[in-house]
Amino acid sequence: MHTYNDRRRFARRIQRYLIAFQAAGLLAAFSGCGQTHDWLMVQSREHHPLIYVANESSNSVSVVDTGTYEIIGTIDTKNHGTHDLALSRDGQLLLATNQASGRLSIIDTTSRETLASIYTGNRCHMVVLTNDHSQAWVTNIGDDTISIVDLESFRIVGAIAGGKGPMGIAFAEDGHYAYVSNHGDKTVSVIDTASHRIVKSIPVGPNPHFLTLGPDGRIWGTNADGNDIYIIDPATQEKVASFEVGDRPQQIAFGYRGSQGPFAFVTIGAAKKVVAVNADIKNLKAVEDIFVGEAPNGIWANPEGTRLYVGHERSNDVRVIDTGTSHVIETVEVGRKPIRVVVSR
Amino acid sequence: MDWYTAIRAIIFIGAISVSLPVHGQVTPLASVQNAVGVVVIVRNGGGQERLHGKGNVLLYEGDTVKTDSASQGMIEFRDGVQVAINEHTSFKLLTRWVRGQSRVNILRMKEGEVWVRTGEGRKSLEVETPVATAAVQEAEFDVRLRPDGQTVLTVINGVADFATAFGTCSVPTSTVSSSSRGKSCTAPVRMEVMPSIAWINGIRLPAEPQS
Repeated sequence: MHTYNDRRRFARRIQRYLIAFQAAGLLAAFSGCGQTHDWLMVQSREHHPLIYVANESSNSVSVVDTGTYEIIGTIDTKNHGTHDLALSRDGQLLLATNQASGRLSIIDTTSRETLASIYTGNRCHMVVLTNDHSQAWVTNIGDDTISIVDLESFRIVGAIAGGKGPMGIAFAEDGHYAYVSNHGDKTVSVIDTASHRIVKSIPVGPNPHFLTLGPDGRIWGTNADGNDIYIIDPATQEKVASFEVGDRPQQIAFGYRGSQGPFAFVTIGAAKKVVAVNADIKNLKAVEDIFVGEAPNGIWANPEGTRLYVGHERSNDVRVIDTGTSHVIETVEVGRKPIRVVVSR
Repeated sequence: MDWYTAIRAIIFIGAISVSLPVHGQVTPLASVQNAVGVVVIVRNGGGQERLHGKGNVLLYEGDTVKTDSASQGMIEFRDGVQVAINEHTSFKLLTRWVRGQSRVNILRMKEGEVWVRTGEGRKSLEVETPVATAAVQEAEFDVRLRPDGQTVLTVINGVADFATAFGTCSVPTSTVSSSSRGKSCTAPVRMEVMPSIAWINGIRLPAEPQS
């Protein structure tokens, strides 16, 4: 029996063929060449952004075409416990932490092969690129350190002693500070990127985990055991707001609902939902619960903020949400325990 | 059984016997060959081994090697690279894999001092500290990690790349460069380097030629 998704995929495929056929016909008419059909098909596939999904229990990264929502590749990370992902601005390099191996995999997205495997530290967790994309900073929960990896030589060029159990990491908009959440200390460390020293520890709540830079230039984080999100203002290095969102908040992405927004969309691990929170910190409020599958974790928004891609740890799929209608418009089966989702430009 | 079946059986059994050990095999990277005092090896999965005097304790990826304030040690890697360990030193043995290149052995130092001689050929070794990495081929050098994190690289022979988060220095024969937290490496300064490795005389194996 064909599902709704199957029918949509089929309709889209037919539509693409028709567009390509018409374009090929036009081109052939002008140039007198009838051999352009394949070339046009390749071009039409290539410019779609790609979704990369870290599958923790499969030790792999699934690659999904956003034009067709089909898996177009699976990358072997050559390590165990693939957890977090970061993509270079040009989309050429994909970095993947592997928690069980303590290693960072560096992946060439063109060949979809792992280029290098670098030991960063015990139970390495999140990876983030510096603003100039010359280095990757990786948190190592088991070593209480942040490793600095040079992305030209693939060498470790430094390690910063962090708080207890560093997990999440994000850079300020101007790159002058790095923020690292420490689940053992219940704090966020502020690291001066010029001196590589911790200049402040901000108490944030129980089991701080994910961190990201918001569209307002502030640092947004989740407390997995505190059921809340919190916001740090780099201008004052203070926690300026927090808001309770539900049982075990996981990750945050920012997007729009029609002409309204921005909103912070937060995956709620224990409640099978994504909560949309008004991202104005003077007026933080939940505006909608979007019900999804069991154990939603990784979430990413497209650059336009109109689609959310949500990984589900238990059902092993990524669901695509239209933020305008708050409906799941597609479900893509990926590897086992998909935990992090990133999307190319 | 005809000849054809017998040959197929032999090939099958041969293939099994060749492939079986490979799956569970872990290749040692190096061995501790000499200790003045005691060298402690902390295994990745837990447990310790100790070497007093001469011996051959195999080292694997993830092992931590330690000396106390009255001990020194000597290690030899499978490719012939030699490492002397000074007193009060601790490092972890790691590797980095890059496609199309041979695996690079790495010493991640927590404290202390090591001397490294890679010898001739494309043998390489890297020494990581919290503020820098010294990478060499065909070189002899010494890395000292001070308690405040400052790292001093002394190159006896050859050229070392001294990479920090703020830039890389090329450090040639008979020069010294240092790096500390939040700073790039200093420009190499020429000086008499042999006194800085006088400490290795006590741990050298008798058959080794002098530097």
